[in-house]
Amino acid sequence: MKQKFTCILYFILLTFFSAILGSQAQTAGEKFLIRGKVIDRQDKGGIPGVSVYEIDADRRTIAGVTTDLEGNYALRVSNPQNRIVFSFIGFKTITEPINNRSQINISLATEGSELTEVVIQAKRPVDNGLINVEKRNMTSAVSSIDARELEEVQATSIDQALQGRMAGVDIVANSGDPGAGMSIRIRGTSSINQSSDPLIVVDGMPYDISVPEDFNFSTADEQGYAQLLSIAPSDIKDITVLKDAASTAMWGSRASNGVLVINTKRGTKGKPTLNYTFKGVGMKQPDAIPMLSGDQYSVLIPEAFMNRTGVPLNTQTVKEFLYDPSDPYYYYNYSNNTDWIDQITRIGSQQDHNISLQGGGDKATYFASLGYNNTKGTTVGTDLDRINARINLNYTVSDRIRFRTDLAYTHTTNNLNYIPVKDVPIRNIAYIKMPNMGPFEYDELGNLSPNYFSPLRNVQGSYPGTYNPLAMALEGKSLATSDRIRPTFTLNYDIFKNKLLTTFDVAFDINNNKTNLFLPQTATGLPIADDDVNRAKDTDTDIFNVDTKTNLIYTPTLGENQTLSVVASFQTNDYRSVNYEATTANSASSLFQDPSVAARIQDASLGIKSGTGQNRRIGLLVNAQYSLLDRYIFNVGVRRDGNSKFSENNRYGNFPAIGARWRISGEPFMQRFSNFLTDLSLRYSYGASGNPPKGSYAHFAQYGNFDYNYLGVSGIYPLDMELKNLKWETVIQSNFGANLSLYDGRVEIDAEIYQKRTKDMFYPELQISSVSGFNNVDMNVGIMDNNGWEITLNTTPYRTQDLTFRFDFNMARNINVIREISEFYPRARGNINANGQYKIFIQENNPFGSFYGFRYKGVYKDAESTVAQDASGNAILDPNGNPIQMRFNYPSIDYLFQPGDAIYEDINNDGNIDYKDVVYLGNANPRLTGGFGPRVTWRNFQFNAFFNFRYGYDIINATKISTESMSNYNNQSTAVLRRWRRIGDETDIPRAVIGPNYNSLGSDRFVEDGSFLRLKYVTVRYNFPKIISQRFKLADLSVYSTVENLLTFTNYTGQDPEVSYRGSDPFRVGYDNSMAPPVKTVTVGLNVRF
Amino acid sequence: MKFFKSINKIILSGLLLGTCACDSWLYLEPQDAIVKQEFWQTKEQVESAVVGAYSSLIGGTNPTVGEQMFIWGELRADMVSPTPFASSSEIEIANANILDTNPVVNWRAFYRTINFCNTVLQFAPQTMEVDKTFEEAKLTNFLGEARSLRSLMFFYLVRSFGDVPLKLDATVSDDQDLQIPKSPQEAVLKQIRRDLIQAETETPITYGNTASDKGRVTKYTVNALQADVYLWSELYDSCVIACDKIINSNKFGLVQPWYRTLFVTGNSNESIFELQYGTQRHPFFLMLNPVQRFGAAPTVLEEVYTLDLMNPLNVDVRADGGALRSDGSIWKYMGVDRDTRRANVAPYPNWIVYRFADVLLMKAEALNQLGRGAEALAIVEQIRRRANALTATAKDPDSSDSDAIADYILEERARELAFEGKRWYDVLRNAKRNNYARQNILLEMVAKSAPVERQQTIVNKYRDQRSHYFPIYTFELQTNKNLVQNPFYQ
Repeated sequence: MKQKFTCILYFILLTFFSAILGSQAQTAGEKFLIRGKVIDRQDKGGIPGVSVYEIDADRRTIAGVTTDLEGNYALRVSNPQNRIVFSFIGFKTITEPINNRSQINISLATEGSELTEVVIQAKRPVDNGLINVEKRNMTSAVSSIDARELEEVQATSIDQALQGRMAGVDIVANSGDPGAGMSIRIRGTSSINQSSDPLIVVDGMPYDISVPEDFNFSTADEQGYAQLLSIAPSDIKDITVLKDAASTAMWGSRASNGVLVINTKRGTKGKPTLNYTFKGVGMKQPDAIPMLSGDQYSVLIPEAFMNRTGVPLNTQTVKEFLYDPSDPYYYYNYSNNTDWIDQITRIGSQQDHNISLQGGGDKATYFASLGYNNTKGTTVGTDLDRINARINLNYTVSDRIRFRTDLAYTHTTNNLNYIPVKDVPIRNIAYIKMPNMGPFEYDELGNLSPNYFSPLRNVQGSYPGTYNPLAMALEGKSLATSDRIRPTFTLNYDIFKNKLLTTFDVAFDINNNKTNLFLPQTATGLPIADDDVNRAKDTDTDIFNVDTKTNLIYTPTLGENQTLSVVASFQTNDYRSVNYEATTANSASSLFQDPSVAARIQDASLGIKSGTGQNRRIGLLVNAQYSLLDRYIFNVGVRRDGNSKFSENNRYGNFPAIGARWRISGEPFMQRFSNFLTDLSLRYSYGASGNPPKGSYAHFAQYGNFDYNYLGVSGIYPLDMELKNLKWETVIQSNFGANLSLYDGRVEIDAEIYQKRTKDMFYPELQISSVSGFNNVDMNVGIMDNNGWEITLNTTPYRTQDLTFRFDFNMARNINVIREISEFYPRARGNINANGQYKIFIQENNPFGSFYGFRYKGVYKDAESTVAQDASGNAILDPNGNPIQMRFNYPSIDYLFQPGDAIYEDINNDGNIDYKDVVYLGNANPRLTGGFGPRVTWRNFQFNAFFNFRYGYDIINATKISTESMSNYNNQSTAVLRRWRRIGDETDIPRAVIGPNYNSLGSDRFVEDGSFLRLKYVTVRYNFPKIISQRFKLADLSVYSTVENLLTFTNYTGQDPEVSYRGSDPFRVGYDNSMAPPVKTVTVGLNVRF
Repeated sequence: MKFFKSINKIILSGLLLGTCACDSWLYLEPQDAIVKQEFWQTKEQVESAVVGAYSSLIGGTNPTVGEQMFIWGELRADMVSPTPFASSSEIEIANANILDTNPVVNWRAFYRTINFCNTVLQFAPQTMEVDKTFEEAKLTNFLGEARSLRSLMFFYLVRSFGDVPLKLDATVSDDQDLQIPKSPQEAVLKQIRRDLIQAETETPITYGNTASDKGRVTKYTVNALQADVYLWSELYDSCVIACDKIINSNKFGLVQPWYRTLFVTGNSNESIFELQYGTQRHPFFLMLNPVQRFGAAPTVLEEVYTLDLMNPLNVDVRADGGALRSDGSIWKYMGVDRDTRRANVAPYPNWIVYRFADVLLMKAEALNQLGRGAEALAIVEQIRRRANALTATAKDPDSSDSDAIADYILEERARELAFEGKRWYDVLRNAKRNNYARQNILLEMVAKSAPVERQQTIVNKYRDQRSHYFPIYTFELQTNKNLVQNPFYQ
């Protein structure tokens, strides 16, 4: 509170101060009257309604009138030294000094008549959210993108649009459903398990995309929670990514994962222009993995069952495979050929409308927009509705005082599928669902009923392992509604004109989210008393966030050859969240889908929960940018961060940053190359930034209440221990970069090499010795490095009046290495003795994401081939001289390999496949990532294509494991039609065995090279010529069409090689469980400007 | 540059000034929990912390202490067998294929309760200074309860693991050394015995109502636990004394009807200490209902209780419809009567830790070791009479044949205390007595219950006495570098 008061106090003082300054000017003279007439320069007639006003030296308006019908005016001015402004829409504004005159006649010229072509050669500034520095003077690594380049993409949120556009920025979609989140990684993961998302700064103020620590993600996980949806892509002017620590040091804590600076569009001076854009999109799921039909499945299962012990499947008890017409219920219900994927898939569509109005005069400019987006997902039951509105206002009070106020509102309703098991979407269940079942039930007489066919259990299992996907998609509910309002206010005040500038920003962010879940009984078939029946759940999360920023910017004039700008900034943040959750079950019918309907709440898993959290941050920053002779540029800064998440010992952290740039091309000895060399610079930067832990109260020993009682009395217990030693996670980054610009910017190359080290890396919930009585603590566990390089190339190889050809290219490599890690950190995961698991180790000085397993050598075709061989290829004999059979994991499992089983390479030739035969199989980190694309403009046509790629990384095709293992009752892909069936079969797919088997152990059979090149999109745009658009009374008219995800070139056999680094668990990298690749879309768009 | 420096200096000192003012702004306490600094102010808070320790026995962890009391006490013995629905880790335990990665051997829940008790013992006394209405006697009672519960937890741990870390202070902050090595079994038992002697003087005789008298630790609970500990420590005189304190109080007796009063109504005259589940779901529902993870071993009905083939109405009340059902399902706690299964709704049945019959049989076991076999046999007879034990299970050992009497007592314990989490500890206690003089008891038991194909392996394994204790769960070794794996599993 105290801080807010201080801020308000500042504000009042300054307003007062400026008022005094103003009034001093005012009292300089007594008022007298000026008369005159305003005429049109062309027809010499008087112009009515012209604004005539007196301004002072700071261009502050003192008094004003408008002209009458004849164009006459009479203005009482206060100071004869002031000036008078005449302005009227459509005419050029004239500012006239009074010079003690009492009669001033003026003639106005129409605007535009004198305008010839103006070539604007502005230097492109880069916004780091605090100060604008010309891009050519930046000392740190940034990359930026103009939103116009992204306009044609169908993206509903900006992260989608940015995919592959910038070097070192890796963005991957978490799922193909509407409203799904993206994971954004700038220069790799700098933290294990801590949030790795970058900080988003919108219009100079941090924009929160985190979710409260006690937020219940219900069906979405943290990364799937798409907060960036609240910013409409059409409102965005440009996006800048700050990559190195020198630039992120500006934003301090939270910025250690990089900063995404987004600026929204603002009004410009001029006539009001109305802009309308329309996008219509059609979306289609690419072809699914071909799965077995009901008939093929019904052959597979009895065979797999029999292979277990030789005992055939008893179809008298397992009637699912009985196929006996005299038992009509089972006969009809289990003799279908259902394509479950097809059942839940449809053609998706999207429509996006956006109207914006912008314009303004000398004093005020405005930008207002209203947008509507409606998306129908390709999975049944998923859709998204979004309405967003924004007003950005700028007002210039005088040359010294300016303020702006922005207001953005977004309302989103997002329907997703109810997902009973985290990370297992309906689509995955649809893949494995028995295809001989149908979606609707046949009754005892064999008549099709309108009821969903959801038996409580059958041979495949029961909920939640399997359920009726169609019923779940149609009747299940996961509706997220969110409302987000974000008003911001900014005041700029020049204390000394062009020397000392102050800005005050305050941003309020009110973010309310409600999730409504419902699990219908019709999908699960559970008995009515079960607490998963008609289970309804409401989660309400309200976040209130206040950010303030006070800047003092000092830019002294140091003569021709030097420039200096010093920024002191004081930032605060107060974050509060409240959440409530209510869960009920057993309402009478699947139509009562809301917990407000009275239903059962007495059970451990039901009832209500609530939580609340608050944390605060402050940051103090001083940064100076100094330039000498335009060639030697230095940047120095220090930031002090305070955070309420730490105890007194570690509450504050200091994070310095330095940077330098040497413009070689500016040196006298380089002048001879100046005919083609526009810019050649070397840059170096070094900086640190701190990361606070996720939890707000770890530094307290807390006591909580049991949610049940003992003998009618509530018990209290210690929740956790006091973490006195928790420190800031510090990311130290050094960056060496070079910029080369040739032929007036027609070739631009940016190259960066960086070293990013995370010290005191956090690991939340590290398990501790349970002798303590607690499960886990948050700890600083070690040091991690992310080293790499990035290169960006923008070229315009050909440019004439009619034809322009541009080509952009970016590429990056990041190597992630653990340098030091706590001895308590788990080092290995994965049990190589179990099917489908790989061994994953974490070792010092090794990258994350390496996995180990067996080498797959095909299938034992007969009994002879199962004989163990020594290194020279001779059969290994037992003491009696009989050949020994290959065995698995002697002595603990001691399984003898049978014909039809998978062959694993016996690396040490001991006739026993065990941990000694495990070898390195691959690494999940891409060697190279990037994108490229041409942009051709020919007369009114524009052609634009973009490719993105990843090269050199291995994926564990987990989808293949689950669709080809044939070790349970799940449906399998058609690849298993090649399976080993009888002695002598030579194939690459082992026999089917339901029950214990070792045919799909973690081996290179499921490891594939994930390298791919994807044609992300192709756009063709046509701008109608002026003649045509003016006929429709339009200023501008263009249409375009975009096709996305058209082609993917890859050797990967899975659905999508672009595996998301979901979660930042180091052990999880590289598993591809995706059963749904990115959808193919066709967009048709229209842009109209009035 | 000089100019630049001075600017920097001014601003930096400004920053410093600012931070001082911000210190209080950055101090935020949680709203949905109480922090330690604000706790330990009133006697009510102390009481709720004590209740918290009890509550931790029946919930908050998976598995709970209550569930583990059953699994640890039964799964390795011969009365319970896992069904195909049991988890693979539970089946492994039953097959004596116990690895240090098996989550069943995770002792987390027990140390959690120990820490809650330690927290009370450490911080409750300081509340006296703040809360003037807090009577000394009341505090003493609270401390006694915490001390007894802690002893109960350690007693389970030593019987299951042998040597265990002896943690006697509360875990408050990450400054503390949590790398605690194991203490020898005898040292832990000594601590338990010492604590219980103190707790006996601290705990009250009654809390004023039956439910609390059964649900919280009274002096008699301490005596029952003492009897058990002394019996385990082979201190038979002390055991008899402890049992007699309970018997001579004349507050307890053997109730009728056996099943209904003890396991359906609960908190009976016979019971000494029961975990009061109330609305908290009883672990038995997860273990035995609706899909059973555990059933009674096939031999129990016919060999332990036997049937009277001549007169089907002549039954041991503890047999079919008592401890189990003829279909092999475990019935104790699960039925409301012989035929009706309990609905899975609150209130849930209690879990009996000690009851009078147990105390009597402990006394009998101690008496027998003291050479007072006749007295011991009289007690066994008392128990059998109440339950209408069948003559087929009756034995008539010579009152001087202490081994035969011990066997008879052990058999009667199996009948009386079936599925109450006692069997493994009973067998091990009898087997290990006098330096494993009667190890064959244990070997015969495992031979009987082992699957045929694994019988030889299992018997051989149990011949090594070190295998009678669980391994330390693997991640405990990972997180506590001073822990050494138990010898059999190294």
